Amino acid sequence: MTGELIPLMTDFARWLPADYWDLSIPVYLFFAAVAGGAYLTGASACYIRSRRESGPCCLESEIARWGFMTAVASAAIAGLAVLSHLAVISRAVLFPIYLTNFSSWITIGTWILVLLAVFSVICLLLQLFGEDAAADSGASLWPRVLFAKIGILGLADSLVDAVRPPMAVFAGLHLFGSILALATIYTGFELAIVETVPLWNMSVVLPMAFLTSGIAAGVGATLAITMLFEREVGPVFGGYAIIVALFSGLSLVFITYGWQEIATSDAPAAAASHAELTSGALYVGVWLVALGFILSIVAGLVVGIAALTDRLSERAERLGGPALIGSFGLLFVSALILRVLLLLAAEQNPVVVAL
Amino acid sequence: MEDPWMFYFDPNRCIGCHACSIACKQRHDRDPDADDWRTVTHLSRGEYPEFEQLPVSMSCMHCHDAPCETVCPPNAITKREEDGIVTVDRDRCIGCHYCAWACPFGAPTYGDEGLMSKCNMCLGQGPGSGHDQPPKERPEDGGLQPACESSCVGDAIKAGPRSEVLDHASEKAAVRFENDAYGGRVVVEPVDEDAELAAAVRENNTDQAADWLNG
Repeated sequence: MTGELIPLMTDFARWLPADYWDLSIPVYLFFAAVAGGAYLTGASACYIRSRRESGPCCLESEIARWGFMTAVASAAIAGLAVLSHLAVISRAVLFPIYLTNFSSWITIGTWILVLLAVFSVICLLLQLFGEDAAADSGASLWPRVLFAKIGILGLADSLVDAVRPPMAVFAGLHLFGSILALATIYTGFELAIVETVPLWNMSVVLPMAFLTSGIAAGVGATLAITMLFEREVGPVFGGYAIIVALFSGLSLVFITYGWQEIATSDAPAAAASHAELTSGALYVGVWLVALGFILSIVAGLVVGIAALTDRLSERAERLGGPALIGSFGLLFVSALILRVLLLLAAEQNPVVVAL
Repeated sequence: MEDPWMFYFDPNRCIGCHACSIACKQRHDRDPDADDWRTVTHLSRGEYPEFEQLPVSMSCMHCHDAPCETVCPPNAITKREEDGIVTVDRDRCIGCHYCAWACPFGAPTYGDEGLMSKCNMCLGQGPGSGHDQPPKERPEDGGLQPACESSCVGDAIKAGPRSEVLDHASEKAAVRFENDAYGGRVVVEPVDEDAELAAAVRENNTDQAADWLNG
């Protein structure tokens, strides 16, 4: 007796009801990773600014502030999305007391997301207030206007100046925050450990696809927001655009590899997932994902390399900005759709009866 | 854990009457329209007149490796050291549904309140009642026989310590269990009417087995 298992059903049904696959889950998985990408953009812009020894009134400062702002907003959206999915929100809010199983990716992920949010808020406050920020200008300083209107801008500036850490601590803060940003790869592990769903159960491909696409979307979103206000496509924008293109390319490699795995798998649930992804509404989503990633690669590389090497003509520069904003906007939507597709097309392995 | 409790199922004796799932619901005083802790799935293949159907009764299998316990963020799920039964502490559950994703048998269910409940081998009565109960005892020692087992008209279900379950099982089923069929999570008798297919599998002729399956 070999103990071999034979699927008795050639056809099978999704075991889990739709509410288990709530759309808040892909939103959470997406924005957590976007927070990571946006934080990395902010931290790297701070680093570039410090290396160039340029003053506060520079493009890097704008990118840094928008980056940390996007990180804070994304982490907040991710947190709210996952909370909305839970039955007992109060226990999740008291996570240091209740979430004690550190072999669970939800526990690990909660700590990563919360710490990343805290680091993002600290970095944002340090960029928004204080003597340097007061001497700066730019659209990203809009919270200062708000603080001024309610009369606490002076207080905020002096408080931030009083607690502003020395450069070494600042660098350590950014380093640890960047590690947390990369740790948003956990969003992929949350799905990849589910052995019963072949579409998810790819321990390297899925986490890497989530990380790279999250970083690409986070950097791209920060860049697009900054470019809405700073239209000049210079070398700094060019460098970041190339990074978005590279991470989009990496994402596409992992996604294509995963697609091949599913398409060639013998598992009936994998075949069912593949069939769903190649027909009906989900098929349109697949094409949207591919289009979003491919366009951001093309636009990022073409405009990015030209801007980085200062070879953008005046007309090309006028078109380059909108092209990057448009393609990175589509990339953002595509990276979210990628996660929605992974949830909607997920199928569990069918019942098997051993002979 | 020396001799953990587990389930045994014989599809050849199951008549698909659903008495097990009804009895389970009644024992635990659950709403008639609540999700079943024990389900009876009717597997089918072929088309008339070559149509065949096989009922399979399933619940939480109290897995030796309990994937639900591993993924549960608040440690609400416990694989008990004393008897191997997997219980849930609903005072810790946050209702994230992660256990349902991880479970190979689709066992966790969620009521209107969103908290997880599942089979506790009748360690207690009602959702979450198995948590913190004393060790499971055999019926002859005064323990409560699981409702599914006591109500099964064909004796297709048995629950008990692993050694007892394996003694009860046929040699084929026991050998297959030792060979890690179903991940060593439940003892299931081979389907004896599928002699042709069984022979193909025994000879490791998967092509022939697949042909047979596809008619």
